[in-house]
Amino acid sequence: MILFVLAAVLAVSSPALANQQPGAGAPTTIPEMWGAWCARCHADDGSGKVKEPTITVEPMDFTDCRVTSPEPDADWERAIAKGGPGVGLSSEMPAFEDSLSPEQISGFVAHMRGFCKEAGWPSGNNNFPRPLITGKAFPENEFVLVPAVSHESEPHSASATDVSLVAVYERRVGRRFMYEVAVPFYNWDFQTERDSEIGDVAVAVKYAAYASSTTPRIVSFGVEATLPTGQLYKEFGKGTVVFEPFVAAGTMLSGWYVQAAGKVELPVDTRVDRAYLYNLYLGRDTSAAPNTWTLGVELNGENRELWITPQVRKGLTGTGALAASLGVSIPVKYRGEKVVSWVGYLLWEYLEPFRAAR
Amino acid sequence: MGRLLTLGILGALSCGALATPAWAQTGSITGTITTTATGLAPVRVTIDQKVCGNELPDHAVVVDAQGRLANAVVVLVGVKGAAAAEATITNDQCAFAPRVQIMRPNGNVKTTSNDPVLHTTNAQLANGRTLFNVALPIPGLTITKPIGAAGTVRLGCNTHPWMRGWVIVTDQAAAVTGADGRFTIDHVPPGTYELRIWHESLKSAPRKITVTAGPPADLSITMK
Repeated sequence: MILFVLAAVLAVSSPALANQQPGAGAPTTIPEMWGAWCARCHADDGSGKVKEPTITVEPMDFTDCRVTSPEPDADWERAIAKGGPGVGLSSEMPAFEDSLSPEQISGFVAHMRGFCKEAGWPSGNNNFPRPLITGKAFPENEFVLVPAVSHESEPHSASATDVSLVAVYERRVGRRFMYEVAVPFYNWDFQTERDSEIGDVAVAVKYAAYASSTTPRIVSFGVEATLPTGQLYKEFGKGTVVFEPFVAAGTMLSGWYVQAAGKVELPVDTRVDRAYLYNLYLGRDTSAAPNTWTLGVELNGENRELWITPQVRKGLTGTGALAASLGVSIPVKYRGEKVVSWVGYLLWEYLEPFRAAR
Repeated sequence: MGRLLTLGILGALSCGALATPAWAQTGSITGTITTTATGLAPVRVTIDQKVCGNELPDHAVVVDAQGRLANAVVVLVGVKGAAAAEATITNDQCAFAPRVQIMRPNGNVKTTSNDPVLHTTNAQLANGRTLFNVALPIPGLTITKPIGAAGTVRLGCNTHPWMRGWVIVTDQAAAVTGADGRFTIDHVPPGTYELRIWHESLKSAPRKITVTAGPPADLSITMK
């Protein structure tokens, strides 16, 4: 609300507009400018529904909080400054960077955020790029494929290549909840032959308990339950239900994404050992585009073992709704016993526009 | 020695007097483009009537009572042109002015507005790819964008869909017909060339023409 009021009183201050003498009735505040310019296509209420559209692509409905809340301000600002193609959307949205100041563009974003009338949706400024291993705090609507390949070569036995693929479906429920289903597939060397099996299927719920609307800062809690669907004797599963309470958090420091997650594995069968997992991610975008390259590194710990995972992520479409990441997990401790793993993901934000409509 | 020098100077002067300047060895082409097509019905204005009026002439075909066609472009293939390196597009009373213009490759396009309404200048190639689309929310603002070697660029406005303009980007000799359908291309070295004719909604086949250093041939071209 404060942002909205600030936006409303923002005066014409861009270099381009400062030299102009607004005529009688010319818009001078952000809401007036919205009404005079943006409402032509986006409507006064931001719904995108106008009586006589002059464009062929229907704009997003900004009153739909599911649409307005998940993306960071930077993406909205870029869309206004660079036009639709700047964020992989329609070229019918023109660029305003030559006619509006950065402050005015920020004012427009605050005005647009106000079209969502429901409180409690976590700000998209807390929606950071997904790390390879560290759990993400922001609730998502995503389908993710996570392949991993590791190769073990020991002097006293044949070499072995293990391949896994985890299919993850995530769905937001309401404003702050999310549930997730993960199905792992394994293709491992078992004794003398290769074997392919489904592993332990996992279901999880997550709740964004705290998400700042001003400073990027988010904390989520959740619990995952791993079901014994994988065969224990082939090491495709743990043979017992495992409850895994977890916490995930994220913030930004000087343009760096900082994400952390911790999890405890609590097997119902007490003969199976507990495990403590902890992860820390540090990453940075190389540009402001939604499909930019993001460089990052993770520290991934399980009990007394530790890996370091440098990685790179890239949006595959202009909107970033399809993205891929690749990294390598290198053991920091017990190097002689642990193997290097190549890890990646292919991610699809299935409710986001895949690419620009013409 | 003095005599030799005098002879030398006289020789040089006489050679200079006999030499024909390069510009005098070139020819010109000129002509008139006509059409059997008639002008189009006015466009109904659906928004911003206070600025744009209730209807506007459709300048997709501008033809006078004698059938003489404006806004056609003739291009002489194989002759380097001298088009301007910059094009200025003015959004004026909800129309692009000029409707059709030519410019050299790798120059800049300047777009400005005289109207107190939001215009956009959306420059697209024939394949639909957008070169740029800039907003002009207030009158007097001028925005400059590079054009590259785009070819035929179509201009549109996303808030006033009837608005249309064209920038023909070419390094060949070219001219746009005026309201009387006339065009002239000067400083053409003698030779045989292909003449291409472009119009946003009419067509005419390319033709071979021969240019001599004498008086220009007056061409008569019909577009359908």
